[in-house]
Amino acid sequence: MAEVRTADAEKTGTTERSGDEGRVVKRKLKDYRSEVKPTWCPGCGDFGVLAALQRALAERDLDPKDVVIVSGIGCSGRLPEFVNAYGLHVVHGRALPAAQGVKAANPDLTVIAVGGDGDGFAIGGGHVPHAVRRNQDITYIVMDNQVYGLTKGQPSPSTPTGMQALRRSVSMPKMAPYEGVLEGQLNILAMVIVYGCSFVARTFSSQATEMAKTIGRGLDHPGFAFVHAMSPCPTFYNTYDPWKESFMPLPEGWDTGDRIKAIDMAMEEVGDGVFHSGVFFQEEYRTYTDKLQDVYTKAYGDEQATIDALMDQYA
Amino acid sequence: MDQLDLTIRIAGENGEGVLTVGDVLAEALARSGLHIYTFKNLPAEIKGGASMTQVRVQDTPVRSPGDALDILMVWNQENYDIHVGEVKPSGVVIFDPDECEADESLALTQIAVPLQKITKTVIKTMKSKNVLAFGILTTFLGIPVEAAKQMVAESRWGRRKEFLESNINALKQAYIYVADNDIDLGLSVPVNQRNGHAQLIMTGNDALCMGALAAGCRYYAGYPITPASDVMETLAKAMPRVGGVLMQTEDEIAAITASIGASFTGAKVMTATAGPGLSLMVEALGLATMEEIPMVVVDVQRGGPSTGMPTKTEQSDLNLAIYGAHGEAPRIVIAATNTEDCFYTAVKAFNLAEKYQTPVIMLSDQHLSQRAQVMSRPDLSRIEIVERKQPEVNGSVSPQEFDRYEMTDDYVSPMPLPGRHGQHYVATGLEHDEHAHIDYSPEAHIRMTEKRHQKIESAVNEPGFVQRYGAEDAQLGLIGWGSSEGPILEALDRTLAKGYKVAALIFKMLQPLPEKEARAFIESIPVVSVVELNASGQFANYLQGRLAVSLKRFNIITGLPFKAGDIEEYIEGVLQYG
Ligand SMILES: Cc1ncc(C[n+]2csc(CCOP(=O)(O)OP(=O)(O)O)c2C)c(N)n1
Ligand code: SF4
Ligand SMILES: [Mg+2]
Repeated sequence: MAEVRTADAEKTGTTERSGDEGRVVKRKLKDYRSEVKPTWCPGCGDFGVLAALQRALAERDLDPKDVVIVSGIGCSGRLPEFVNAYGLHVVHGRALPAAQGVKAANPDLTVIAVGGDGDGFAIGGGHVPHAVRRNQDITYIVMDNQVYGLTKGQPSPSTPTGMQALRRSVSMPKMAPYEGVLEGQLNILAMVIVYGCSFVARTFSSQATEMAKTIGRGLDHPGFAFVHAMSPCPTFYNTYDPWKESFMPLPEGWDTGDRIKAIDMAMEEVGDGVFHSGVFFQEEYRTYTDKLQDVYTKAYGDEQATIDALMDQYA
Repeated sequence: MDQLDLTIRIAGENGEGVLTVGDVLAEALARSGLHIYTFKNLPAEIKGGASMTQVRVQDTPVRSPGDALDILMVWNQENYDIHVGEVKPSGVVIFDPDECEADESLALTQIAVPLQKITKTVIKTMKSKNVLAFGILTTFLGIPVEAAKQMVAESRWGRRKEFLESNINALKQAYIYVADNDIDLGLSVPVNQRNGHAQLIMTGNDALCMGALAAGCRYYAGYPITPASDVMETLAKAMPRVGGVLMQTEDEIAAITASIGASFTGAKVMTATAGPGLSLMVEALGLATMEEIPMVVVDVQRGGPSTGMPTKTEQSDLNLAIYGAHGEAPRIVIAATNTEDCFYTAVKAFNLAEKYQTPVIMLSDQHLSQRAQVMSRPDLSRIEIVERKQPEVNGSVSPQEFDRYEMTDDYVSPMPLPGRHGQHYVATGLEHDEHAHIDYSPEAHIRMTEKRHQKIESAVNEPGFVQRYGAEDAQLGLIGWGSSEGPILEALDRTLAKGYKVAALIFKMLQPLPEKEARAFIESIPVVSVVELNASGQFANYLQGRLAVSLKRFNIITGLPFKAGDIEEYIEGVLQYG
């Protein structure tokens, strides 16, 4: 069923479906709820991320058949199951390559990759710069709880180092002798900006409306959009209280077109003990699909080669 | 001379151009209606080190690289010393007297041709040394100068018009030198049956790429690795011309998971690698089995373990291909036997993947992937292409009612595709029920395990994956798989002609195992031996485990392919001395 999107509908999010005339009733959040009840612990931040994503999808009235949510392994990786859309739940750390395969094979799909901080920046960390380099139109939501939730409380690459963690009076009992972790904390946001990502934003699961808006902007961004979704794990590393204190919006009139400023901000805020929310950086670059289209045009113009013609080179 | 059968080797310093001479000679002979089979042995370095290229030419299809050499041309002392021992007693050595000293004590015909000096003093362009060498070979093969000129003009040396004249001159100098020195080997290779461009000259990797495209492959992801890189390189050129996507990923894990993602949307996908890459892909292979995602994974085997011997050949990834998984993750494993078969096996790999919704591992190896052979142009209109089972488009079944993993008679369930079917579901590597919902109950795990296994087992009935050859009342049976088919069958023919009672059974499907054929063969022949290029006898162990039989083995681990002569000797040895 082809969808016709008018210029106006683009703004309002209203969609007319051909063959479905007269039905201008938009999908609602509940239309993106699957029959599977979330298995997360009560109070898990991931509930907030799920609801925000569903809201963003509903606002865009996307047909669930055209949406693919790809995830790795972790508590956060279970998210696709709870959304009424296509889902591809792969192995630990590989949500990004799988999502890129989906998008490359069918660029018409709305592709969203989700997963945890460990999934994305420990085991899967090697894939992030390359997903950024390819700049496919994919939204990647990292649900960062600064801990391994599913495996019950080990530190992750984004766990604060040593005393810093303690100052926030958040305990990680499994790491007690180390007073946190010995390794330094990875600055996920700064890394992604430095990689050259075309859209970088941060948001907090306790700020529902804001999060839905930020994820929505990521979905609308034509290119690889990185959404750093802070999402506490009350069971193994309860950061609700300190995060509520340290979250603040980016300064009024923030220039999203300045990558250097964005890097500075992402570096400085760590020392200041704050998290800024909002879009740190956004710029439109040509996507992988755009560039591939040029290659096609150059390679065969209007007509594709037959396999017989390709075999001529061996004759 | 009854049947034409010459094995010609050219050896020199890597990077000097010996490989080009071999390539042009092979192509020229193939265009003249003859059958060729090339064999290269290269150092892993980009430049430097001893390298050699070999062409075996026959008037019927060639099945193995050739045993001892009929003609050896060496450009320097190092290569003379390495290769001279492999020349037949009746063979000829061509050497450059300014670069190397021949061992006079050898009872061989040794002909001095000052390649370097002629190039420097008469031709005066060093680049043309290759053409001179080529001309020396064509003269010795009895190819008339006019035919040789046409060969040069049609080759890569003729492509740039500004060099053509000096290249033809270099060729002429070869004929002049040989005539002046009155050298005649008495050979006359028939090159008058020109078939021009009717036949295809391909390597195994070329053929598998074309087979994949013919089968409908439109997404490829890969990471460079010897000897599989040229699959990606060939497809990089071809994919844009057919509207496909080629992605060079950051590693093999990304390659296989990206392929899984692409196949999830309905694309026919492939990734090719060698042992180290296949090792990295193992976890995701299990995922593809679990989610029932069709895909083709090519493993061009090379010498292992670890980084091993990247430019050498071996059949040593069989265990990994069959068993490489945590939990139990059955998949189909097939192997190609020769260049032409790489084309058709690739087509079959896609058809099996789509039909059974499973990963299919196609095994090739360094030697098979890199050597050139002649094949008939495939008639694409006669190739059967299988599409995957899908639900009806615009079907009214709601996602809530739809069972992605429905238990069907053949254990294969219709697969909805995003963007196409309204029956969206979540594919997961966690155990699930028919509805794709996560389910760890004993019942679900038992049912789904059976589904995954039975589906693969039923593929054993696919025709054309196991073939018996030779004597009905054989005293010795040889079992082989994949690329050892050629040398085994050539050895079989030679020993049958000598009156030995031998037979062979060649497997192209390794998992599921064609047990019936294996058992019938093993039970009907007193002595059965498994012939493979590995140390432990991986296929022999597998057969023994599955069939509870005891088998002899013949293994070599030189990093080089089997010669027919190796197997011929083995057969005679077993039948004479037991
Ligand atoms: C290859 C592999 N190694 C280890 C694991 C175990 N494992 C599952 S999830 C996980 C970490 C989860 O942490 P994160 O990605 O932050 O997700 P969260 O649960 O916090 O949402 C680990 C180590 C696995 N599933 N696969
Ligand atoms: S363990 Fe933590 S991250 Fe996992 S569901 Fe529970 S609260 Fe959420
Ligand atoms: Mg986490």
